[in-house]
Amino acid sequence: MVRRLLLTLASLVLAANAAFAQGKPVLTVYTYGSFAGKYGPGKIVKERFEETCGCELNWVTAEDAGSLVGRLRLEGADTKADVVLGLDVNLAAEAKSLNAFAPHGLDMQDLSLPIAWNDDTFVPFDWGYYAFVYDSDKLPNPPKSLKELVENPNGPKVVLQDPRTSAPGLGLLLWMQKVYGDKAGDAWAQLKPRIVTFTKGWSEAYGLFLKGEADMVMSYTTSPAYHIVVEKKNNYKAAIFSEGHYLQVEIAGMTRTTKQPELAKTFMAFVLSKPFQSAMPEGNWMMPAKAPATDLPDAFQHLGQPQKALLFTPEEVQQNRRAFTDVWLNATAR
Amino acid sequence: MAFAILALVAGGFIALAAVGGERPALLSIGPYLWRVLAFSIVQAALSTLLSLALGVALALALARRRFPGRGAVLALLGTTMVMPTIVAVFAVFAVYGRSGWAADILSLLGWRGEFSIFGYPGILIAHVFLNGPYVARILLDSLSLVPAEHWRLASALGFSPAHIFRHLDWPVLRAELPGLTGLVFLLCFKSFAIVLALGGGPSRSTLEVAIYEALKIDLDFGRAAWLSLIQLAICLTLMGILNWALTRPPTPHTVRSQVQRHDARNRSLKLFDAIVLSAGALFIAPLALSLLSGLDNILEIADADLLRAFLTSMTIAVLAATIACLLALALATAARRRRVVLRSPRIAAFYDFLPNTLLAVPPFALTAGLFLILRRFADPSSAGLILLPLINGLAALPFAYRSLAPRLLTAEERYGRVAASLGITGVNKLAIMDWPLLKRPFAAAFALAMALSFGDFGIIALFGGQDLVTLPYLLYERLGSYRLDDASAIGLFIVLVAFLLAHVSGRLSHAGD
Repeated sequence: MVRRLLLTLASLVLAANAAFAQGKPVLTVYTYGSFAGKYGPGKIVKERFEETCGCELNWVTAEDAGSLVGRLRLEGADTKADVVLGLDVNLAAEAKSLNAFAPHGLDMQDLSLPIAWNDDTFVPFDWGYYAFVYDSDKLPNPPKSLKELVENPNGPKVVLQDPRTSAPGLGLLLWMQKVYGDKAGDAWAQLKPRIVTFTKGWSEAYGLFLKGEADMVMSYTTSPAYHIVVEKKNNYKAAIFSEGHYLQVEIAGMTRTTKQPELAKTFMAFVLSKPFQSAMPEGNWMMPAKAPATDLPDAFQHLGQPQKALLFTPEEVQQNRRAFTDVWLNATAR
Repeated sequence: MAFAILALVAGGFIALAAVGGERPALLSIGPYLWRVLAFSIVQAALSTLLSLALGVALALALARRRFPGRGAVLALLGTTMVMPTIVAVFAVFAVYGRSGWAADILSLLGWRGEFSIFGYPGILIAHVFLNGPYVARILLDSLSLVPAEHWRLASALGFSPAHIFRHLDWPVLRAELPGLTGLVFLLCFKSFAIVLALGGGPSRSTLEVAIYEALKIDLDFGRAAWLSLIQLAICLTLMGILNWALTRPPTPHTVRSQVQRHDARNRSLKLFDAIVLSAGALFIAPLALSLLSGLDNILEIADADLLRAFLTSMTIAVLAATIACLLALALATAARRRRVVLRSPRIAAFYDFLPNTLLAVPPFALTAGLFLILRRFADPSSAGLILLPLINGLAALPFAYRSLAPRLLTAEERYGRVAASLGITGVNKLAIMDWPLLKRPFAAAFALAMALSFGDFGIIALFGGQDLVTLPYLLYERLGSYRLDDASAIGLFIVLVAFLLAHVSGRLSHAGD
């Protein structure tokens, strides 16, 4: 009976997919859950792309960037993905080493990233600076630099993410390395008494911060825009640090195994076009990768702007991540 | 059947290890992993001990007392365990956090200090909250199965409360506790998001974190398979010791009938029960009540997405429960045959042992491995549809087995000889002899397995998708878009459904035969 039920269920889904596909080609895009969810930009992107492509865009989601790569690795050459949207640039080298992606062949000029971009495999679609977010009603004088945060024994308490399970966690690990270099271990040890906890993912940490468990949370400079636009609250702010901020770039790539390379290419180009880019700020709460500053919504124009972007190359991250993690572990795990 | 399950698990690991390609750095267990292991064992042992203490005390007190709303309390006890972990974590913070209720009350009382629950206190609170009530629930069910004749006899002989405990309650607890100990220990040993969020630092971490990291960040599947094997080996060793030292075969139950226990009138027991029940309520109620904060947004989340996610969750839960109950039935029948007919209790004990060991298998690694096998035969996009019910079903198997196995033994004791003399065997035996006694526990196990699958986030993280959005998945998706309020409403909704299922399960397992 179990088998029959399963077969029925599977065939129902397949039938639904087949009906979907009738006549029009289907472009399957893997992305993370909140991108394609109710409040994410997925719906708008799908509508706008389908207006011009003569195709169906089908989102397939996994929980987060790590799950996307893991799933791609598991599926290997059988993957149904034509495009994967939402990888983290810090894990780009690992993703590339899967040998699953094809060159995009697009021109990467005129991007609005704070760094030059010349990767031939991945296209950046949005970005943001990692930053510590705080409630200005409760913390009127936030630290002015990462060093001040780390070295002031009476400084604010922070909630962070585990670098082994989450992108912002990895982001802070790399940020500390950029600022402290060989002394990163000591810096972690200095900060440790004021770390409330390291959560599994961004969501838990941000939730704990909103519930008042910590004075600051590791998040993005763009997080306050959400509170301003949706909740009409102006008290959440991102602290701007003088050393510069580590950069988060979200990237997309088309698979080597896609059966419709032309359509996939069209989508990759669409990613950098206005219809897609204009959905990023208030859909994904990140900065668009290609848009003039004047196109930004109000709330985004007035966000604090870091003076300097910090970023390791994906290869550097791949080579050193284990060592950096061990430094962090030794310093924070007593 | 048992071997089929073992083969499934082994196959998954081999596939996972094989795709790793290059030999993984075999046992690169550094000092860090040793510390993690030591911590995992200590926290799991403490969590188990406290959960059992709370469970036993609550079960005894509830067995002696009748009060209005008792049914709802019992259903609540069955609900906490199936909560999505993130809901439980937020509940703990809402009550014991820096800005939680406890802190509010303390500051009202004029206390100005700061306290932190991170570390052992937080982890233990969460684990005891999740598991203690479940232990109470199971023990209460078993306590109420002590035959009415025993009670009459005890009453006639004028048993004191101490006698009653020694001769009536203790044998029941003695039979149930080893299995429960193993179950709770494994659940805590593998606990992941709770330990990270409440542990306060990477020194408080579990092996499951390392497995997750290997799978999702390093993409080193060989390492994931090895770490999984280490975890499995440790759990099996511990369970083996426990099993060898403590386990007795499941005791057959008899017809239960409502008995008013005469020790309910004892004065010091009245005091004891009052203390236990209020302490239990004081511990469980605030955590449960904190979930009601989701009520504000419950209307806003009612949309097509929610309905679809609900139906998907339900479908998966029904399939998972079917798998769990049928497997449990098959295993329990085999165990009974070994024990009663073939007189080989060792093999029977192995069957009893098997379902719990499944809990020691890291679900992420198993899923990944099975997916690699499945991908050769099936379309990868439908793999989730097969894997989700299967993995959830296997995870619910130990729970289903607990309620079915003793009943099958009861049926055998009562009607086995008659059936044998009439030559009734096989499916007929199941239908004619066992089913009448089995149908209620079966339905109860079914509802419980559904509830367990319903709250599970686990592997859907990897295989969810457009066609496969469950309620917990939806919850995380909303959290990812800053919608904390929506997420807590969805959390509340999940818990309410689980509560209803637990209620149904309780009613069924409590009804007379």
